Amino acid sequence: MQAPQSKEEKQLEVSLDDLIYRVREIKQSIAGFIYKLENDYQNISWPNMMEHFGVLSSQLNSLKRLLKTSKMPLLRNYVLFPILLSPERDLHLEKLTEGRVLVFSHEVVPDYLRTKPEPEVEERVQALSVKASSITPEATQKQLTMLNKITANLVDTISALSSASEERDKDLNAKNILPQTYNTQETNLLIGAITKGHISLQSEPQNPMVAGPPMGQMQPQMQQQHPQKLQMHGGGMGRMQSSIKTNIKAAASSHPYQRP
Amino acid sequence: MEGSSLAPSLKNIAPQQEYLLQGSILDAHRDTLLHRLRGLCDNAESSFEMFNDYEAVYTLRNSSTTQQNDPFLFRVRRALDHPDAADHIRYLGNAEIGLGDRRPTLVRACLDVACSKNVREFLTEMGFRMDHDYVARGVFFHKGRMKVMVYKIYKLIQPGITDAKNLEQLGNSHVVELSVVAPLGQEQIGEDMKNFADQLKPLVLLEKLDHKNL
Repeated sequence: MQAPQSKEEKQLEVSLDDLIYRVREIKQSIAGFIYKLENDYQNISWPNMMEHFGVLSSQLNSLKRLLKTSKMPLLRNYVLFPILLSPERDLHLEKLTEGRVLVFSHEVVPDYLRTKPEPEVEERVQALSVKASSITPEATQKQLTMLNKITANLVDTISALSSASEERDKDLNAKNILPQTYNTQETNLLIGAITKGHISLQSEPQNPMVAGPPMGQMQPQMQQQHPQKLQMHGGGMGRMQSSIKTNIKAAASSHPYQRP
Repeated sequence: MEGSSLAPSLKNIAPQQEYLLQGSILDAHRDTLLHRLRGLCDNAESSFEMFNDYEAVYTLRNSSTTQQNDPFLFRVRRALDHPDAADHIRYLGNAEIGLGDRRPTLVRACLDVACSKNVREFLTEMGFRMDHDYVARGVFFHKGRMKVMVYKIYKLIQPGITDAKNLEQLGNSHVVELSVVAPLGQEQIGEDMKNFADQLKPLVLLEKLDHKNL
């Protein structure tokens, strides 16, 4: 058996060695972890613990990847069956298993060479799968969509909540920065417009007389504007004219030098 | 002559004073202010009370007033959103001085009278002429006897025409006014107003504005 090894057998041997190496590594880290848990549990912290779990899970993952690689022969094609069972203590086996399995007997073989779950477990799995298959696909689909919907809703609610609180934080920050919500110049412009009528000054900049004289000398300006106003109030033209004429006279007599 | 004809009717009106604080808010922040005011003022549960008024300011000058810089002004208001409502004419005095800066608000004489629609013709006949006009559009709130107004000023491109096409907004802010009209001698109200204005402070600065400097 030793000499003419087929290519396949060689490959099997190599990959088995590899597997054993990996499994041993995992075993060591588990043992180290258990040891730490049992003897050094006062000093173990949560991040520390997570670190251990992380190491274990990555090791398990790499083992799984190894099993899936194309180089790995299909292990399920190989059958392992016990040729000899004996109640005697087997030293070689004891050494191989580091003292955990002492005898290769009827008692332990079913546990170690099991390829199916235990009968009780199998029974429960069976019951569950029967129950699962008894539901119609439509009902399943319905339940599935329902669950998805509920989950999506929950996720939405939570994210909305968090985004809302973020926004609130942002708002608070914005408030803390105190953006300018008013402008004193604008205040003056608006109040000036409603109390003093500076609106007209702005809307008629083309009138040089308006822009020209300072506030204290409004009278000449009045005369200029009168003809316009007359046209606005078309109603009682005749009488209005007379009253305004007197006004103009009064204004003119008080500031004769302003007239061109 | 006009003064003597006005005098009898004015005598029947109790002398009132307007206590006034003014400020402005940038358009972008108006809603924030409205929200806060709604919470601070009465009737928080009801919707905003809107107004849309056309105000024309009429002025009278005669030989006796030409010497002064401050003309005699009447403010005539008409509610554009309520065409059936009576017009309203208001006289505002100059800001009172005397107690100096100790008073927290501007205080000025104030006379309010409701009047018929033809008040404009009446005033024009009497020799008043229109000095300027504008449209004020906004929201008002009550808080006890305090009145808060937040409104936008629109200038009229053609005077007297209140078509939407003829309006042009003035500036990028809304006027904010806190006012109380009360009989003479109620100085306490000024303190109340100051306290109320302080509650709006980071948002709006309501001030006692000196209109002479505008």
